[in-house]
Amino acid sequence: MAPILSLKDLVKVYPSGTRALDGITLDIQPGEFLVLIGLSGSGKSTLLRCINRLIEPSSGTVVFEGADVTAARGAELRRIRRRIGMIFQQFNLVRRTSVFSNVLSGRLGYRSTWRTIASRPSGGDVSAVFENLGRVGIVDKAFARADALSGGQQQRVGIARALMQRPEVMLADEPVASLDPATSHSVMKYLEEINKKDGITVICSLHFLSLARRYGTRVVALKGGRVAFDGKPAEIDERRFKEIYGEDAIEVEIGPERSQPQPMSATEAALRAMADDTGHGAPPEIRPDG
Amino acid sequence: MAEYFVARGLTIPQELSQNPLTNWRRLLVIATSILVIYTGLRVTDIDTSRANPEFAYNLVLQLFNWDFRLLTPQNEFETFWDTVEGLMIITIFLGIIASAIAVVIALPLSFFGARNIMTGHPVTTTIYTVIRLMFTIIRSIDVLIVVIVAAVLLGIGSAAGVFALAFHNIGVLGKLYSEAIEGIDHGPIEAITATGANRFQVIWTAVVPQIVNPFISFTIYRLDANVRLAPILGLVGGGGIGFILFQKINLFQYGGAGLIIFFIVVTVAAMDFFSAQVRKRLI
Ligand SMILES: Nc1ncnc2c1ncn2[C@@H]1O[C@H](COP(=O)(O)OP(=O)(O)O)[C@@H](O)[C@H]1O
Ligand SMILES: [Mg+2]
Repeated sequence: MAPILSLKDLVKVYPSGTRALDGITLDIQPGEFLVLIGLSGSGKSTLLRCINRLIEPSSGTVVFEGADVTAARGAELRRIRRRIGMIFQQFNLVRRTSVFSNVLSGRLGYRSTWRTIASRPSGGDVSAVFENLGRVGIVDKAFARADALSGGQQQRVGIARALMQRPEVMLADEPVASLDPATSHSVMKYLEEINKKDGITVICSLHFLSLARRYGTRVVALKGGRVAFDGKPAEIDERRFKEIYGEDAIEVEIGPERSQPQPMSATEAALRAMADDTGHGAPPEIRPDG
Repeated sequence: MAEYFVARGLTIPQELSQNPLTNWRRLLVIATSILVIYTGLRVTDIDTSRANPEFAYNLVLQLFNWDFRLLTPQNEFETFWDTVEGLMIITIFLGIIASAIAVVIALPLSFFGARNIMTGHPVTTTIYTVIRLMFTIIRSIDVLIVVIVAAVLLGIGSAAGVFALAFHNIGVLGKLYSEAIEGIDHGPIEAITATGANRFQVIWTAVVPQIVNPFISFTIYRLDANVRLAPILGLVGGGGIGFILFQKINLFQYGGAGLIIFFIVVTVAAMDFFSAQVRKRLI
């Protein structure tokens, strides 16, 4: 089968001199649920953003369904972007506006500038908003302000916004790193559903290896901007784990799947705090021995 | 104090052993302050011996002996707009018009003066630098200086006052607006860009909702300041009630001056209250 995304020799050197990606070559097949893992700073966010050119790669190519993303300009690039959905660790909703407007904005790539200013969505777009909010189970919140929602609900709005694009690929940059374990699973299940039911290819970076094992059909580990592992989740044994995360690492389980969110325990709160991407401390799955 | 470190044989941190009385930096600051104030008192020669308490007392009494004729037109040549209340209203509108002109110019410019919108390309970065420099220069020229120059160029009157206020406020509002834009959450910009939206749609959808409230807040804050400044501008040739106040003082008509000052004080207090109320609600 022809890959839906094909990355070749992707390199990103930031102006600061950091070589965040150091020659990434990957073919991603339609329908895959690819999980990106790796230490904080290994290049996961950079890689995901190079795919839709939120970050400009320094060299190398990204080909999406035969179209050279890295060579695309202006309107051509925007037409590619609208076929690739994206969700974020911090949800990135426009907090002051309604859930409805946020979801509707997923359609901007298909709308004229004039319609945007006049805020005259087409009838079809309006029904699609409710359709997609329904899929993630929060139609009742449509006219609430985005920042009045819980973290898990905000991420579901993020998913609904991305679904408005009718994407073929969904990029997810640590979508559950700001959520507690139970909510994490509920969000991951929506990603699993769009992957299985709609056949949307998912590329998702995750902090917890246990989540990667549970949801991924393929795991790619990054280390220092290079691919350190590429294979089935089950193939990651003790030895491989230490290769990816370092000798002192210990694998820990993320909390069990629960249907109802529970009050956060102190440990979960600590996990959550560690999972915060902004810190450059040890990632949550890693604890020094002893 | 240092038991923790002593017990473990560790070196005691310097911070713990510092004595504020022997901290030479602190002593230097205190000594410098005393020296500056002492020199200031010697140099400026603040001398109150020439003041005449009796005269001052009389003058204050006259200031409160309000001349109520100013409230109504005094001859067939005068209209409502020559009365104190009419002039006050004119002056308030002077401040409003000046604010409006400043907003219309500063608003679009502020986007070009916001670093986060303009980075990524040498040309846009240059535009950013130029705009911000311009805001800073305009802002640093005091309104009183601008109004004196404007009064020479445009003649004494409302035009000079409005022009000066508007000019100064382009700099002030431009900087405030630009900084508000720079302070927004970048996340939504990223997310909306990822949907395939164009640059204008991104600004409209992800930036504008984040800045309306701060913009309204800053605008009202400046409107308040401008209505406060407008009477003062009249004193140096900017028209409005300030000009009449200046005349009354020159003609020793202190009763009229007192009434005008009362009107100004009430207006400023009212603006202050109104502005604070609105801004409180916008946070
Ligand atoms: N905007 C940036 N400017 C400079 N360096 C950056 C920037 N973003 C990320 N980096 C650096 O690039 C490397 C990879 O970062 P990132 O892609 O965020 O990794 P991850 O998502 O796996 O934590 C890190 O060393 C990080 O410090
Ligand atoms: Mg990251």
